Amino acid sequence: MTIRTTKRTRWATAVGATLALALGACGGDEPEQASTDDPIVVGISLPLTGDFSEPGKGVQRGYEAWAKITNDKGGLLGRQIELKVLDDQSNADRVVADYEQLIGSDQVDIVVGPFSTRLVVPAARVAEEYGMLFVEPAGAAAEVFQQGFKNLFYAAPAVASDHYNHLAEYLLALPAGQKPTTVAYAAMDDPFAQGTAYGLKAKLEAGGVRTVVDEVYPPNTTDFSSIAAKIATSKADMVVGGSQYQDGVNLIVALQQLNYQPKLAAFSTAPTSPEFAAAIGNKTEGILSPTGYTQDAPYESNKEFVEKYTAQFGSPPEEDEANAYTTGQVVAAAITAVGCAEQGDCQKKLVDWVRANKVETVVGPLSWDETGKPQGAHMIQQWVGGEIKIVLPADAKETDVVYPKPAW
Amino acid sequence: MPSGALLFQSVILGLLLGGLYALLAAGLTLYFGIMRVVMIAHSAFLILAAYLAWWSHTELGVDPLLSMVVTVPLFFAAGVLLQRLLLARLRPVTLTMMSVLLTFAIAVVIEGLLGYVFSGTQRRIQLGYGSASLELFGARIAVVKLIAFGLAAVALLSLYLVMKKTAFGWALRATIQHRDAARLVGIDTDRVAGFGFGLGLATAAIGGTALSLDTTIYPSLHWHWIGPLMAIIVVGGLGSVPGAAAAAMVLGLAQSLLQIELGTTWAQTVFYIALFLTLAVRPQGFFGGRLAQRF
Repeated sequence: MTIRTTKRTRWATAVGATLALALGACGGDEPEQASTDDPIVVGISLPLTGDFSEPGKGVQRGYEAWAKITNDKGGLLGRQIELKVLDDQSNADRVVADYEQLIGSDQVDIVVGPFSTRLVVPAARVAEEYGMLFVEPAGAAAEVFQQGFKNLFYAAPAVASDHYNHLAEYLLALPAGQKPTTVAYAAMDDPFAQGTAYGLKAKLEAGGVRTVVDEVYPPNTTDFSSIAAKIATSKADMVVGGSQYQDGVNLIVALQQLNYQPKLAAFSTAPTSPEFAAAIGNKTEGILSPTGYTQDAPYESNKEFVEKYTAQFGSPPEEDEANAYTTGQVVAAAITAVGCAEQGDCQKKLVDWVRANKVETVVGPLSWDETGKPQGAHMIQQWVGGEIKIVLPADAKETDVVYPKPAW
Repeated sequence: MPSGALLFQSVILGLLLGGLYALLAAGLTLYFGIMRVVMIAHSAFLILAAYLAWWSHTELGVDPLLSMVVTVPLFFAAGVLLQRLLLARLRPVTLTMMSVLLTFAIAVVIEGLLGYVFSGTQRRIQLGYGSASLELFGARIAVVKLIAFGLAAVALLSLYLVMKKTAFGWALRATIQHRDAARLVGIDTDRVAGFGFGLGLATAAIGGTALSLDTTIYPSLHWHWIGPLMAIIVVGGLGSVPGAAAAAMVLGLAQSLLQIELGTTWAQTVFYIALFLTLAVRPQGFFGGRLAQRF
């Protein structure tokens, strides 16, 4: 509360002396300058209600865990972190008003991003206008990076089309006899899900691997038997699913019903879900999936995150929580290195620092290009012996890739 | 040009799908035959039955097929009550139009309740034999799809036998053909109509269970089904059960084959194109059914 009074005092001084006097009286004799016992206020607007409320709450937990873990270690620059969270009701107009309020009238020191591409773009535009650093935990679609933002950084290993990069590299490096020659793709008509499959498609086609089936299905599809029939009769060496959860499960079951046995099967999102194995009757053997975050990732800060998060919330963190935490880590690294956290010139220094440096996070080391797009790729996990394990990249692997995959 | 193996596989999938359409359309056309009621809520009851099958499997651990022991009589009773308490009160002059509004409301209520109780999350029954299949001349037939088809076939055959061989069936058909004449020869047409409605809804219970074996269900899924079913009964000739079954098989097969070239999104349009063509060329339908002329 005290910080807001102080900030308001400063703002009011600029506007009119009378108001400043009145508020100044309330504010007492607090110093005008941010001092070491002033908390760093981090402003966030999140979809806590509406369409994105589920992931929105996950992101909130991630930010809360980051604030608590950082504060328990003494905060940043000796200052505690205080979160100021507003609910944007999953509404893009609301999110703009929220960030206007946070930056303009609440005078927060730092802002970080909301959830989902739809909300990230308008929010980033506000942050850009005020010259604020804008690190965000969601918004992997290509359009985010085509807006010409200078202050935006996506705090995750890769955008959708780069999720499969490690797998593409691995496959193209195989000797000619073993390399898959034909691939069947089926993707949901959704920018994220389709982006993952088509990212791999572009790379494999460039490497001379032939596409024999290329199907796009609407998000409400429930019957996958005809798509599966096309894939199965094409006898493609490899099948790639640009899937979310349920469609991935349905497609895999439909393929198994047709007894299609590819050398390799890769699906986005679905295979990393905790319910996946039961949903397809435990016939998971050899299925691959890119993953932006796993609790088993060997990065140093991840062990601390999983342990302390679990103690705080009672269950281990998932990807939404981890992305928010990563966002916090990036901001914290910049603040610590630059030595300031306030509006004004400091923000430009923070932006320049993030642009030029690599940050160690719970999802591995992150760095960005000039559009704010992360330069990494997702880890690849594979179901081996009834468990999902990291198989790529080589420096993070828990076990080797099983290729060709055993029958499912 | 698609390969022979793919064509053959698609024909099999189309026939399996057509069987399910046939059962569902049979119930829908029955309502119209008996009462000139357009039953928009038919597919909502279908999804309700699918949810009950899913629930009994997930919560009680019984095979989804066993849920029919409860759902079939339950839906029959619900159908009788629905007809006697709600639809019979509509004024005969505006019955057809008003029944659309009334059953639309029922569909929305069912959808809302399903969403409230089970949430909007997509559900799927996880069966031990979910991905098992049989081989037939190089094509594959999933066991669950075969069970669903078998259920549909048995239910349709039973419906046919009831209609043709029992006194109730004769009374029902008499009511469909000429209500006043049926009353003149001593048939209690109100009672018969109620039971006929119950029979129609019982097919939704069987169809829903069959559906739940192999697809994902979610509360608003019924909108996905009602359009094709309505198209089928018009193409088949409103009120004609064999017509509905035949049209269902033809259109199911057509949908499956068109998916090869057009993909899932555009293949669905086959139902609506068939509907337009039927209304333009032969409004009474292609397989009997004189009722449409009066529609």
